[in-house]
Amino acid sequence: MRWVDIKEGFKEFLDEFKREKTGIAGVVLLVILVLVALTAPQTTIPDLPTKWRNSQYWEENPKNVPPTWYNMFTSQKLMPHLVYTLNDPDVNVVTQDKDTIITVNYNVPENYYYGPQGIIINGFNVTLNSPIGVPTISVYLIRPDGDKVLLVKDKELSSDVTIAVGRDSEISKMIYMWLVYKTTGQNITPLDVPLQTILINDMIAPLFADLTGATGPDEVIENPKPLWGTYKLEIVIHQPRPVNEVNYDNIKITFLGRTYGTMGTDYLGRDLWAGLIWGSRVSITIGILVSILQTIIGLIYGVTSAYLGGNADEFMMRINEIFASIPSLPILILIGATAGHITLWFIVALLVIFGWMGIARISRSMALQIKEQTYIEAAKALGAGNGRIIFKHILPQLLPYAFAVIALSVPGAVIAEASLSFLGIGDPTAVTWGQILNAAQNQAATTKGYWWWVIPPGLGIAVVGLTFVLIGTALDKILNPRLRRL
Amino acid sequence: MGYLKYLAFRIVNAIIVLLIVTFIISALFVKVAEESNKAAMFEELMNWDKTEGKIIKQTAGIEEYEKVKATKIEELRRKYELDVPYWEKVINKAIRTLELDFGTTKMPIFGTNNVSKIIRVALPRSVVLFTTATIITIILGLFLGVRAARHAGSVFDRALSVFALLTYSLPMWWTGMMFILIFAYKFGLFPMSSMFEPNDTLIDRIHKLALPVLTYVFVAFGGWAWTTRNIMIGTLQEDFIMAARAKGVPEHKIIYGHALRAAAPPIVTMVIFALLGSLGGAIISELVFNYPGMGRLYWVALQQNETNLLIGLTYFFTVLYLSGVVLADMVYGFLDPRVKVGASAKM
Repeated sequence: MRWVDIKEGFKEFLDEFKREKTGIAGVVLLVILVLVALTAPQTTIPDLPTKWRNSQYWEENPKNVPPTWYNMFTSQKLMPHLVYTLNDPDVNVVTQDKDTIITVNYNVPENYYYGPQGIIINGFNVTLNSPIGVPTISVYLIRPDGDKVLLVKDKELSSDVTIAVGRDSEISKMIYMWLVYKTTGQNITPLDVPLQTILINDMIAPLFADLTGATGPDEVIENPKPLWGTYKLEIVIHQPRPVNEVNYDNIKITFLGRTYGTMGTDYLGRDLWAGLIWGSRVSITIGILVSILQTIIGLIYGVTSAYLGGNADEFMMRINEIFASIPSLPILILIGATAGHITLWFIVALLVIFGWMGIARISRSMALQIKEQTYIEAAKALGAGNGRIIFKHILPQLLPYAFAVIALSVPGAVIAEASLSFLGIGDPTAVTWGQILNAAQNQAATTKGYWWWVIPPGLGIAVVGLTFVLIGTALDKILNPRLRRL
Repeated sequence: MGYLKYLAFRIVNAIIVLLIVTFIISALFVKVAEESNKAAMFEELMNWDKTEGKIIKQTAGIEEYEKVKATKIEELRRKYELDVPYWEKVINKAIRTLELDFGTTKMPIFGTNNVSKIIRVALPRSVVLFTTATIITIILGLFLGVRAARHAGSVFDRALSVFALLTYSLPMWWTGMMFILIFAYKFGLFPMSSMFEPNDTLIDRIHKLALPVLTYVFVAFGGWAWTTRNIMIGTLQEDFIMAARAKGVPEHKIIYGHALRAAAPPIVTMVIFALLGSLGGAIISELVFNYPGMGRLYWVALQQNETNLLIGLTYFFTVLYLSGVVLADMVYGFLDPRVKVGASAKM
């Protein structure tokens, strides 16, 4: 083929492709997908794969909460995620004598339910120069009804102290004791607190609940009515000796949301939106790579087999049949489960090894027809070698078919990769949609109704698949009007 | 080549392939088993070293200890079959598998250790679920596909094509998770887990089956309808259809009598493979629904390292596939007389 021919042919093809609406839709989708995948570090969190399995990194995120926009569809609105630093206008610092009091105004607007999922206070910088007179911290919550709830009392303060209301069972005990006092008037000791109750139940919702009319703590825990208004979190740091310095500049007060970000969080508090965006990289790369490789291998194998004919053909087809008869998913699972550390390249190799057979069969039967053409005979008569005839005369004839096959086998490859990841066989240094779904399945997300965790990754797989199906069917229509029904 | 000769050739071919695949599977699984046996033996030896070995070392001295340890290693190697050479084990395993003697499992599954019996318990369950679903899918797909082909380009045809393209890219197991979320969690119409309990009534079981069947049909019928539509449109453009129309044959008869019969060979092949494939269940979908069929059994076997069960199941899947190939060839030769001709038999 001459260069001009290729140019002409390509132009003609483009003109025809422009008329295929589905193909154009597919290309637009593909461009969007590629852009989303490429800009993942800029639009979300950079270096996400290294952070994804580090549960400490996600500590300051709420767990298992829906996305923020969920509030648009529900009458019981849920609090967003709020982080306060010293510069915030809602934060005040007052120093009196040896005490420093930091107050944070936190507003629970009307129609919002349950308050935050928890409160995390950290970022103290304490320099201990003397073992005597260690600074201590006390935390109170002043409710709109005027109640002042003691959450932490005189806890010794050091740089690594994190106050985690809602996750620390000691604080939950304090809340329970307060709740008993307010509803029944009894004073109980920490030993009287039923551990079962405070460990299973959400103890933050009662803290932000209206107590009027309640006759016992369980009533409030089970059905907390919201108390709207402005809450004040009061952090009192007592500094008996100025030798031990406390620096507040980096202090961070996080009111964990009942909703978070664009796609909510999973059981570790991981930002699912970031995971979703990063997952597209793996899906698209593996999908395209696997389909290209298996098409190339299948094509060359099939054409060679057809061209050689005779015993070589029989032998090559037997090998093809053997590969086709081995049940691939079970064997893939077996190999994956016993291989130890799996890289993405390994998965690509596995999927290619068990995926080229169908293409080989079809391209063989096509090549059998082409082989009988006179120009092949002519090439042979001119003394062309097998390699030259296969690569120069037969394969180019099958190229249009190959492009359509590449596009059409991407969805299968994407689903296969996701399936392996879903079974826990995947690259532990990557973030993939299958792995997100695997975690969702292990944590029984479907039976708990965590839709924001289950739906998006699957939709992602479907969108990638659809993109290539659209392109593939359009290519098929243009390039193989005759071969379409083979 | 006559039809019978052609058939015999295909059957012999399938048997040869089966022999080789069985051998490959045995080699693979025996290797895996050997690795895990080595680890188990090492662990047991360490345990012995810490308890009995330590006592012997303290009481009888280091020489006596070495001697006892050597015999212990020998005994353990025999116990874990590490004294037999690898290839000998592979060949033994392959031959026993071909004789359908799959051996026993280490732990009882479904209340028995016998691999054949375990498969016999799980198989009907997969049949009930997937074969039912496949049959519904095929009927629905064929019917809708033929309809779409008759009214090619209509709104119905376009809607069906879009639906087919959409579901083609959906993983079935994810759709299952979605359906559990929607129909079991949100609306409470179906149970969350399809695991059979001993005192389930027939109604309970049907109730548990309904959601997996629904999922399968939802994901699969679009593709069936679309393929049928494409084949039918191709056939409807053929000359003999035009001739039939010109003769005045009723449209109904043209579609179901002439066109569908001509389009039958590829469709029948698809039906055979779909039905045989359904016997093997679907590993991930059964996991998602927690359904105790063949697919989930494979996963359990893998988790518990039950090599014998794994080989048995894999062998079963291979036999299914190959018998599908032979069956498809048979039907193809029957429906499409051209296959009997030597040249195209080689295609």
